[in-house]
Amino acid sequence: MSLLALALAAAAGYALTRIFLGYSRPASRPVLLTRPELAVVDAAAETLFPPGGVIPMSGREARIAAFVDFYVAAVPRNLRILIRMLFFLVEHATLFFPAPGGLLGGGMRRFSRLSPEQRDAALAGWERSSLFPRRLVFTSLRAILTMGYLSSPAVLRALGLAPREIPTPICEADLLYPRIGALPSTIALRAEDLTPPSDGTPLGPTGPLRADYAERVQP
Amino acid sequence: MSPRLPPGEIRVFAQYGEDFREQADVAVVGSGPGGAVVAKELAEAGKRVVLLEEGPPLTPQDYEWDGARSMTRTLREGGLRATRGYVMPTMQAICLGGGSLVNSAICPRAPDFTLERWCTQFELAHTTLTGLRPHYESVEKFLGIAPTPANVQGARNLLFKRGCDALGYSSEPIPRNVRGCRGSGECFTGCRSRAKQSMDISYVPAAIRAGARVLTSVQVQEVISEGRQAGAVVGQVVAPFTGRPSYRFEVRAKVIVLSAGCMATPVLLQRSRNLANRSGQVGQNLQFHPGVAIQGVFPERTDPQFGATQGYQSLHFLREGFKLETLWAPPGVLAVRTPGFGHALKRRLAEIPYSATWDAISGCHSSLGTVRARRGTLDPALHWQLDERDMPILQRALWVLAEIFFAAGARKILPGVHGVADELHSLREAEPLRSKGLRPKDLVCGGNHVFSTARMHGDPRRGVVDEYGKCHDLENLWIADTSVFPQSPSVNPMLTCMALAHRTAHAIAERV
Repeated sequence: MSLLALALAAAAGYALTRIFLGYSRPASRPVLLTRPELAVVDAAAETLFPPGGVIPMSGREARIAAFVDFYVAAVPRNLRILIRMLFFLVEHATLFFPAPGGLLGGGMRRFSRLSPEQRDAALAGWERSSLFPRRLVFTSLRAILTMGYLSSPAVLRALGLAPREIPTPICEADLLYPRIGALPSTIALRAEDLTPPSDGTPLGPTGPLRADYAERVQP
Repeated sequence: MSPRLPPGEIRVFAQYGEDFREQADVAVVGSGPGGAVVAKELAEAGKRVVLLEEGPPLTPQDYEWDGARSMTRTLREGGLRATRGYVMPTMQAICLGGGSLVNSAICPRAPDFTLERWCTQFELAHTTLTGLRPHYESVEKFLGIAPTPANVQGARNLLFKRGCDALGYSSEPIPRNVRGCRGSGECFTGCRSRAKQSMDISYVPAAIRAGARVLTSVQVQEVISEGRQAGAVVGQVVAPFTGRPSYRFEVRAKVIVLSAGCMATPVLLQRSRNLANRSGQVGQNLQFHPGVAIQGVFPERTDPQFGATQGYQSLHFLREGFKLETLWAPPGVLAVRTPGFGHALKRRLAEIPYSATWDAISGCHSSLGTVRARRGTLDPALHWQLDERDMPILQRALWVLAEIFFAAGARKILPGVHGVADELHSLREAEPLRSKGLRPKDLVCGGNHVFSTARMHGDPRRGVVDEYGKCHDLENLWIADTSVFPQSPSVNPMLTCMALAHRTAHAIAERV
């Protein structure tokens, strides 16, 4: 009996370790996400956007995890819970539905602890599933991480999609509305500051990039 | 209580310091295309108007170019609102100007045959093209609505025309509410060129000039009524972006106009002791324009970030139930549908500068749903199903899009349909789009045009408002947004919404 109890305790400890422990400390202090959440986001980001290839930046280099941390903190609470459940599901599903290799080959580990090849196989399973909810998990994960990848100025520059500087005419509305959080008394513009409206000159892929998307500027 | 605002003023979040009370002839709830038109027209008619908006005004310095960040600021539920039943994202704005700040400025009139159907099926007498013409014309003139000029079309839009021409399908530049568009492709995140005539820079300033008072960052939570009279709206000041509530307010008015949008208007009525709902139609008949899109890759660069966001359309298949358009959105938003992962995904993202995305929106009259108030929030519970009977329309639309892409010279298309290859390199390879029996869950749809949750009907037992927007059940409660549409308008709804709102405003001015 005591042997059985010991075995059960050992199994429970092993399971807890697999689910909750062993996550490394993130490089910078996150806004909202926990270490396990950052780990699965980072692992998924490296799987979706691996290093090298036609766009040099990897998901990690594009700082997808930092974007997701910001993004999840910015959405309403009920959706925040759903997104965090999504991360939990992706991280732990391979404990119950192992990646290739199974128990002995290391496929029965958390997603963030799988080898790159096993992560590929796990995500392919979600993507190609005949079950709509499984596909929905994958498309939701990919959607959030893709938004993060393409929010990186470096990635956008590599693709030639970074925004250009555009002069903004001053119109009547600019005399009415202060910036978010400010009082109307902070509006420095007066009627004499109004400028002619846009003349409709077409924009094209020349001209300077917007300052916050130009090179050597951190996102 | 603070002193009353002087006429012709806007109040922003930083100015509220205590509970307050206002009085007006007309209180308009919501500053989107419906409410802004009503506010301006009634203020110019000499009425004391208070326009209430839950979101803040955004200046160009407040715009976020990044799509995801922008959505968290300008869209309800951070842009992640979706239907249940059939899971479909749907976006509604929360800012001064409503959806007009973040849409593509598309302004076609509803076609004659659609308005005739509305009149026949919903017992309406005056909602014909002839009856609406003066209202359409007034709005078109005020906003400078005109076909998109050729010099800002960009390659992405002109390729669509090339494909349609090759196949003999009619197409035309999209009429839009813009002045001096430079083709920045930034409609979705706020027009830095100030070319788009969104409500916050057009109708709202005009309303203020005419004496309207605009209260922003105020969330209307209930309409107070007694018998057949609505007396006031009450609610709380809410912080921009976080929605954190603070001071309470009450606005008493002789007339109340709800223009909170197709989702919020029925929820507001339901939270107001199921007001105006003797017909049982409040929150029913939820309809969308489910949209499907295909990305095509061309041999030459298209630089799709330049050119009018949505510059070309085809109404060729309108009677079959769908409309075709060109499309652009911030790269991070547009790419969420890109198939695959790993190096295949990166390769496809690298092809964006050579690509174009075109979409089809469909009426889908068999696909209905409901809007319900949820406990403790004004965000609605949306239930909607994409009905199998509407699938042939969407499938036909996908096939036609594929035809146009290959006729325009695309070297491959990415249909984004489950059960069909990720990449199709010829029309022959695209054959499954025509012949395969697609099911609703094989498609990834989006639905941003919403209708009919407080529909107009000549019979008070079958509709919430009459054809002028007055609630059948109350003497002084009116609705002016797309919730009053009896059905899909077959095309983008903004202009028809504004034309109906214009008519509603003049009906109020005559009667009050």
